[in-house]
Amino acid sequence: MLRRPVDISMDNRRLGNPASKWAWTAGVVGVAGLGAGVLIGVLTDEGINRFLSAYLVNYMYFLSLGLGALFFVILQHLTRSGWSVVIRRLAETVARNMLLLALLCLPVLLGLGRLYSWADPETASTNHLLHWKRPYLNSTFFILRVIAYFAVWVWLARYFFNNSVLQDRTGDVGLTVRMQKVSAPAMVAYAITITFAGFDLLMSLDPYWYSTIFGVYFFSGGLVGFLGLLALMAFAVQRSGRLTHAITSEHFHDMGKLIFAFVVFWGYIAFSQYMLIWYADIPEETSWYLVRQSGDWAWVSLALLAGHFFVPFLVLISRYPKRRKNLLVLAAVWVLVMHWLDVYWLVMPAASSQRVPLHLLDFTCFVGIGGLYFAATVYRLRDCSLIPERDPRLSESLAFENV
Amino acid sequence: MIGYLFLTGVGVWGVNNPVGWGWAIVNFVFWVGIGHAGTLISAILFLFRQKWRTSINRFAEAMTIFAVVCALIFPGIHVGRVWVAYWMAPYPNQMQMWPNFRSPLLWDVFAVGTYGVVSAMFWFMGMVPDLSTLRDRATTRIRQIAYGILALGWRSSNRHWLRYERAYLLLAALAAPLVLSVHSVVSFDFAVSQVPGWHTTIFAPYFVAGAIFSGFAMVMTLIIPARQFFGLEEIITLRHLENMSKIILVTGMMVGYSYMIEFFIAWYGGNPYEAFAFVSRALGPYAWAYWIMISCNVLAPQLFWVKKCRTNVWILMIVCVLVNIGMWFERFVITVTSLSSDFLPSSWGYYSPTWVDALTLLGSFGLFSTLFLLFIRYLPIVAMAEVKSVMPQAQLDRGIHRGLGDYWGDMPHIHDEQPGEPSREQAVSPAHRTSERPADTKAESYSYLVDFETAGDLIAGAERVRDAGYTQWDAHAPFPVHGLNDAMGLSATRLPWLVFFAGLTGAGVGLGLQYFTNAVDYPLVISGKPFFSLPANIPITFELTILFAATAAFVGMLAFNRLPQHYHALFKSRRFRKATTNRFFISVEARDPCFDRVRTKALLESLGGSSVEEIGE
Repeated sequence: MLRRPVDISMDNRRLGNPASKWAWTAGVVGVAGLGAGVLIGVLTDEGINRFLSAYLVNYMYFLSLGLGALFFVILQHLTRSGWSVVIRRLAETVARNMLLLALLCLPVLLGLGRLYSWADPETASTNHLLHWKRPYLNSTFFILRVIAYFAVWVWLARYFFNNSVLQDRTGDVGLTVRMQKVSAPAMVAYAITITFAGFDLLMSLDPYWYSTIFGVYFFSGGLVGFLGLLALMAFAVQRSGRLTHAITSEHFHDMGKLIFAFVVFWGYIAFSQYMLIWYADIPEETSWYLVRQSGDWAWVSLALLAGHFFVPFLVLISRYPKRRKNLLVLAAVWVLVMHWLDVYWLVMPAASSQRVPLHLLDFTCFVGIGGLYFAATVYRLRDCSLIPERDPRLSESLAFENV
Repeated sequence: MIGYLFLTGVGVWGVNNPVGWGWAIVNFVFWVGIGHAGTLISAILFLFRQKWRTSINRFAEAMTIFAVVCALIFPGIHVGRVWVAYWMAPYPNQMQMWPNFRSPLLWDVFAVGTYGVVSAMFWFMGMVPDLSTLRDRATTRIRQIAYGILALGWRSSNRHWLRYERAYLLLAALAAPLVLSVHSVVSFDFAVSQVPGWHTTIFAPYFVAGAIFSGFAMVMTLIIPARQFFGLEEIITLRHLENMSKIILVTGMMVGYSYMIEFFIAWYGGNPYEAFAFVSRALGPYAWAYWIMISCNVLAPQLFWVKKCRTNVWILMIVCVLVNIGMWFERFVITVTSLSSDFLPSSWGYYSPTWVDALTLLGSFGLFSTLFLLFIRYLPIVAMAEVKSVMPQAQLDRGIHRGLGDYWGDMPHIHDEQPGEPSREQAVSPAHRTSERPADTKAESYSYLVDFETAGDLIAGAERVRDAGYTQWDAHAPFPVHGLNDAMGLSATRLPWLVFFAGLTGAGVGLGLQYFTNAVDYPLVISGKPFFSLPANIPITFELTILFAATAAFVGMLAFNRLPQHYHALFKSRRFRKATTNRFFISVEARDPCFDRVRTKALLESLGGSSVEEIGE
């Protein structure tokens, strides 16, 4: 499995000066997008509620990508992976956006009463079931929980990013050992927080509905999306003339395998949830799917089934497209789009149960949050190398070859 | 015990009216769960490139198969009228009925059946090279013949290794989702119902995690004594045990996670029946079983956070036995508590097993250990060929070029035998290949054979033979040598396409079968489901896809390699027997167009191996 490590001394391993320019541009675009969103929200008939829904879709989209990145980083340390070292810095940087996401959560928390029906005091006090759930589903506790989740995530993301960058300078192998030690409890904390975050931010949009697997579903979708993003980033970095030797078709092959595997995993989780609810046919559970199976939403559901599972499954099952960057990046963009649709499908029916309310706001919010997200990523990469320069497993990664 | 049961009927069991599912299902789920570790180690760890698995996978695969055998007993006897168990097969019985494919119990038949077949193929296929080693090192004639038959005429040919490795990878890729599906389907037995405590969406991954958890614990329980007893400490090292204990910890945490989420949602869902089911588990009449489950499954493995516990054989053993017990009780808790207190308090009842139940469980353990001891006695318990390929000597790139013989030791009996002694192949040799033999003189011999000490020499030699333009030649190595395919100039195999189309066929057959039987030929309304209900048909469609594809991978590999082929001219060579142990060979056949007695011999002699041997037809 090992060949001679690739020589990367000639590689450009830094983003360098253009990074600031890109970061500023993206930042301005992001602010403009969000500003336009608020403006449309205030000025149009649909109003601020529509803006909040669109914002939540895109916010959850980028949050799930960031959580996918965090999982990826923790997993690489937990399993002491060698192959992935050259692309780990990209993942660390995406995960590091957690602080930005914590700030961007403010509009969601401010709009709590408009987004979540349980947070509306009038509904909550008259509805028996919501009254029962009140110890858990109330605004104060909700906000405290969200703060707690972000405290965990921000700390973890910073820990793994900072130590990895520190190692670039010091070359201290002890840092790797320490990160491996932390990765195990980190995974436990991650599992619990992402599960309840999924329950809180997405599942409670329909406060009557419940599903024990929902946290896993949220996690699996985000991971598929992030793996697509990772392949896309690796591709983009190479297109800009950086890391042209370090990242080989072997690494793309492995990213392809991971996308494939987690597409299947997502399908498995989605099916497990759907099948059990469909078969048992208990009204309080089927209501959630009923909305998504009737009206325009039925088409979105079918599009997800085909586009989020069958298309990437059939495209990536063969070895050939996984080893061709240009094909793989197409698949990566495809799963990113599909993951967006998945989040849209999770959030929107709560606000509009019959129609699929595609709106300009969905786009401006995407540009807004996405722009800021991109800006933060690039900005952070300005000052550090694109790969963990002195990771003890770097040479293993550079020598990596699939059987 | 089973005989008594057959004569009397299931009345001898402790099952009663609310608790219609008792020990049989508990034992079934328990054994199927045990059966998961084998294929997990074989397939999933293989896909994750976890090379340490090679020391333990054979062991675990064998355990899988025996556990599945034990598991299949229980639904078999649980149907009550065992003599009509074949009604479960999709075949119209005398009442012109078809099985109801919308029932999760029938999915079980397909899932566990497929799993048994695919695991057996995977196990056997992994064992073929090792069986050939046993054949070539056999000390008695009977063993030689027995292992020879099982080894299918494997001759370590690199052309075979190429397809073998591809088929193994494909089987692994097929077995991985299969493993997940089997216990998911088992979980659906419970979860598609509306019984509180059974119907919860996380059941599928939760059962899978539990199965892996219990399976690994059982592997450990068996492997720790075995390695002490057989002195395998150098092959199954503490590192292997430590890695397995980490997996036990991870899956144990997943199981704990599921317990927690179930409890939370039981409250959050606001369904009083659901909430009651869980409170009653923890505080009700079966609280003792529940707390055994929690302490064995969630608390005991927490010791594995500490490295000292992961590397202490005694602690490992104790925790793993506790996990086995805990997982049995998990199934007991799930099955019995939910049934004993259902929606109507008037029909509640307490379940207690009878002596027949207990002895049947004991009997299944007996069967399991009998099969297992037979395996340990007669078959290779460590995947030798795979272990060889990950030993330091096989790592060409690290610059260690040493013969494997240094490590494995030579078998004296191979040298002791007289060269003139007739071998079994000569005794049975048919007039083979005579029709193909060209008439000219250069074909007096079948082939030339030369052997090398190390894999590195073999690759260097193979490159030169390739460059000389030969086509009818082969390299032989006791394990697949990395880089040899390029050195021989071999192209990829078409096996993946065959497997892909076989999979499609399987899916088509599965769906078509269910459509025809349940919607066309014998429409029957079951629990208000449509005649053709796609979600309910997915499990069987999936299982048949895997079954067809995996069979294609296995049979296709054999067919493309023209195996079994128990006679081959190369087997006449005494020296060649070491091709399955520690020597590397190149053979050039006389029917190669480039073949020339003098020049070919000179070429082979110049490769730096041993003297060239000529093998007659």
